[in-house]
Amino acid sequence: MLFEFPRPAACRPAGARQILAALAAALALAAPGAELRIGNGGEPLTLDPHRYNLNLEEKLLADLFEGLTALDADGRVVPGAAESWNVAEDGLVWTFRLRRNGRWSDGAPVTAADFVYSFRRLLDPRTAASLAHFLYAIDGAAAVNGGKAPPANLGVRAVDARTLEIRLAKPFPFLAERLVYPTGYPVPKHVVEKLGDAWTKPGSMVSNGAFTLADWQPQGFVRLAKNPRFHAAQTVRLQAVRYYPTADRNAAYSRYRNGELDIIGDFPPGELDWLRRELPDHVRLSPLLSIMYLVFNVARPPFDDPRVRRALALALDRQLITSRVLESGEVPSPSFVPPLVAGYQSAVRPEGPDRDIARSLLAEAGYDAENSLRVTLRYIAGADSKKVQVAIAALWKSIGVETILHHAEMNAHFAELRQGNFEVAQAGWFGENNPEQYLELLMSTTGEVNYGRFADAQVDALMARAKETAQLDARLALLQQAEVQALALNPVVPLYSVTIRSLVRPDIDGWRANPRNIHPARYLGLSGD
Amino acid sequence: MTRYLLRRLAFALITLWVVVTVAFFLARAVPGGPFDGQRRLPPAVEANLRAAYHLDEPLLGQYVRYLGMLSRGDLGPSFRQKDFSVNELIAQGLPISLAVGGSALALALSLGVVGGTFAALARNRPRDRLLVVVATLGLAFPPIIVGPVLVLVFAVLLGWLPAGGYDSAKHYVLPVAALSLPYAAAFTRLARGSVAEVLARPHVRTARAKGLAPWRLVVRHVLPSALVPVISFAGPAAAALLAGSMVIEEVFSLPGLGRYFVQGALNRDYTLVTGAVVVYAALVLACNLLADLCHMRLEPRLRRG
Amino acid sequence: MAEALLGSALARICCGVLAAVALSAVFGPWFSPWEFDAIDWDAIDAAPSAAHWFGTDGVGRDLLVRTLSGARVSIVIAVSATAVSCLIGIPWGAVAGYLGGHADQAMMRVVDGLYALPFILLVILLVALFGRNIFLLFIALGAVSWLDLARIVRGQTLAAKNEAYVDAARALGVGTIGIVLRHIVPNVRGPALVYATLTVPGVIIAESFISFLGLGVQEPQTSWGVLIADGSREMHSSPWQLIFPACLLAATLFAFNVLGDRLRDALDAGR
Repeated sequence: MLFEFPRPAACRPAGARQILAALAAALALAAPGAELRIGNGGEPLTLDPHRYNLNLEEKLLADLFEGLTALDADGRVVPGAAESWNVAEDGLVWTFRLRRNGRWSDGAPVTAADFVYSFRRLLDPRTAASLAHFLYAIDGAAAVNGGKAPPANLGVRAVDARTLEIRLAKPFPFLAERLVYPTGYPVPKHVVEKLGDAWTKPGSMVSNGAFTLADWQPQGFVRLAKNPRFHAAQTVRLQAVRYYPTADRNAAYSRYRNGELDIIGDFPPGELDWLRRELPDHVRLSPLLSIMYLVFNVARPPFDDPRVRRALALALDRQLITSRVLESGEVPSPSFVPPLVAGYQSAVRPEGPDRDIARSLLAEAGYDAENSLRVTLRYIAGADSKKVQVAIAALWKSIGVETILHHAEMNAHFAELRQGNFEVAQAGWFGENNPEQYLELLMSTTGEVNYGRFADAQVDALMARAKETAQLDARLALLQQAEVQALALNPVVPLYSVTIRSLVRPDIDGWRANPRNIHPARYLGLSGD
Repeated sequence: MTRYLLRRLAFALITLWVVVTVAFFLARAVPGGPFDGQRRLPPAVEANLRAAYHLDEPLLGQYVRYLGMLSRGDLGPSFRQKDFSVNELIAQGLPISLAVGGSALALALSLGVVGGTFAALARNRPRDRLLVVVATLGLAFPPIIVGPVLVLVFAVLLGWLPAGGYDSAKHYVLPVAALSLPYAAAFTRLARGSVAEVLARPHVRTARAKGLAPWRLVVRHVLPSALVPVISFAGPAAAALLAGSMVIEEVFSLPGLGRYFVQGALNRDYTLVTGAVVVYAALVLACNLLADLCHMRLEPRLRRG
Repeated sequence: MAEALLGSALARICCGVLAAVALSAVFGPWFSPWEFDAIDWDAIDAAPSAAHWFGTDGVGRDLLVRTLSGARVSIVIAVSATAVSCLIGIPWGAVAGYLGGHADQAMMRVVDGLYALPFILLVILLVALFGRNIFLLFIALGAVSWLDLARIVRGQTLAAKNEAYVDAARALGVGTIGIVLRHIVPNVRGPALVYATLTVPGVIIAESFISFLGLGVQEPQTSWGVLIADGSREMHSSPWQLIFPACLLAATLFAFNVLGDRLRDALDAGR
């Protein structure tokens, strides 16, 4: 029977000695030394930077590896493995100069050839990298990834051991920004080729970041240890970091409150008032570069009727949703490009809420009390998104629209969206500091990620012109026009930028709120260290 | 006896095969696949992935391949946890589930036998009535209520015990307590009934009348037969405990088998789900076999059967 | 039966609890000033008050009316699943008992085998894979809770079919269907009803587990399991969101168990 297995004596009544031992253990945990315990929101599915998919993997990988460029504690793009770079006049050729002291954790130098190998590996269809499209800006990338050209055709070249040249198909001023993602990280050719898929196991993984992979207990924790060969190792204060897969934010919160975790990246929003009162110096709120929005399936009546879309959009009150339902300082956004995108000023004018206009628009479209509009709203399972969709349904009810809610897990949800199996759906884009990334979702050539199949010739033309323009200001102006043109037709209803609610022990320094929600462990430390 | 055992074993294996087959085809009958994401993969990439996991073969071929692997003890690679095989994941999760489930079952069984015997000896007196009401109350508090409340009280408010994780024995106290409560109640009620029934038998009444010390009476004359129905219930109880242990693993963020199962089901990780079902089913069947064995030892009449 | 249900103070209280839960679940929402999906924008996540006796949830919906409409859903699922289990269990047991011999052995072997199965795994798998559908939920739950019923009904059928008057009827040329309807069914009815009652709390618990794992009914519908899951997520700051549905669930389960015991005792005594 089950209980005959020799397992920890958890059920034995605790004697005095055991209670003392437990207390001692609790005290030991309370004094963290130079090892931080961070709640990371879920289990990484892989630590292969080219196969990664999740934001929470991004955080671990950013500690383990360093791309040509990197993000600092404030989320700004700074030199990484490359100490400098320059862009040719036409915006097509980028030349990166690698650091002299760049080393893999096994001591081998990080060379331009490693990067060439890595970019080819990312785009090689055999790697099956799900985010390979991040680097489709590189000349030949799409063809290589689609299996139509050999990886050697990729526009990446090692000029010498420390000089890397990247050739683009079209000007892309945001490349330095794009290279901070794990898709742009180098992997150690000498290890990957020897070990194959097993190279990411603890003990085998060789990396070039501030930390190395010390241990990985699936669903338990991932432990990273300081990498003494890192080029800035002398500035790294932590000896180790443990990332816990705290998928349930309530459990994470309980563990933080109980002193079992030092940093958590999410907590139940209902706790905010209490925390602000009792633990004000623990609470960190930071709006994330992101846009949460509703998307209409314009291929499906009645959502092909712009009046219906506009009516539904006008019934929504962003301010009410962010201030009453979400309450964590989410930034309401009438524009599709999040207001946090630096250097871009959206020209979309905020409109509404106006229920009267909304009702009359619906009446024009043929919907009234006798013949009310029924809408199925799909959303992603989760406590916050549930609250928002319930509020949206209530707001629509006030203009006489009946809403059927339908939720599914993330992957299932987006699979339905990509196939166009929806009427109205929640969607979100967690992007970068690059307005194009958001607006591309409204181009007719984007394909399935333009979930609503919105197509407008003028928007397409403006976007195409922007993408040919190397000069940044001119490019941004074209994007602005495209956004105004698109949103006038309400293919989507932009709602708000997400806020990240973190709890950080007050004696930790180097943790700065930033719109990328990136907090590299190399900058963290305990005050007084 | 050996023949009886062999028959039970064969029966268990057939049951296991049925479960595996149902789980295998159920997982693959769903629209959408394990590689769905926000973006569709380029066809060349998806083809490579499907080939790597043999998803490009006909379904029946995949099934035969899976059974072949299973017979070698190989549960295949995980579709989503790309860096791990299902065997590795289960090897990590199973001990935790066994520790929680096993301790909870053991705790429930011992509490139940002691409480039930105590109640039966004092039959219809106030403390018996009280115990019965307490046990019935215990049945009314499933782990989804008890788990969160225990965390709130003992971890967050009092700070005595950890709220989650599995680093040391004390991490198991709250989950085991929350999980075992309703089963302890069920065992108490069962043990009370069967002990009372045995106490009423003539030879026991004679022994009692002779003035044998109550505890000796219980240990020597009552428990051996009174335990039979209790032990038999431990098999089905292990199966029933499963659902509770999934909830408990969720509440206490324990990385046990239940988490893998639920996550695998939600994320369409076919191999992980099927693997977890195989292991769960095998465990429950093993529990039932063991319960049968104990049953036979305690009930000599069966040995001939 | 009436004696069993009303014979003691505790039993009377439990009957009262069940009646109160059932009546308020059926009629309560009609009398509430709030609809179960209406938002009170001025009382989001509010503690119990005169306006909202049970407080409100994280979106400002009245918890009293939600707990009652959750009770509706939980009870509907429990009753329908029990009905499904009767539809499978009673014929299975009756046929096995009536046919006897090898057919009986084979059919009861299947029941034994299913007892040993972690059935709930398949239910979860089904619901996780094929979406959250209330029909799927109660059919799946019903399909896994018929085993006890089958055993009981078989036992009763076996006992009834050997009675002298059944032999007499058979000798008089009454057909199989006639015998089953006239002589077996009346004998089986009582025990089957009792065991069906005993199935209900089990199904309620199973539904709440599945909802707790996030696989329950769709918003804005709710059930006790969903309410408890949501409540446990907010219990640090808004304990009322957990306490009220949890108390109602516990009280209902307790009442069902007490009355089930009584009924079973009465049945045993009657034999």
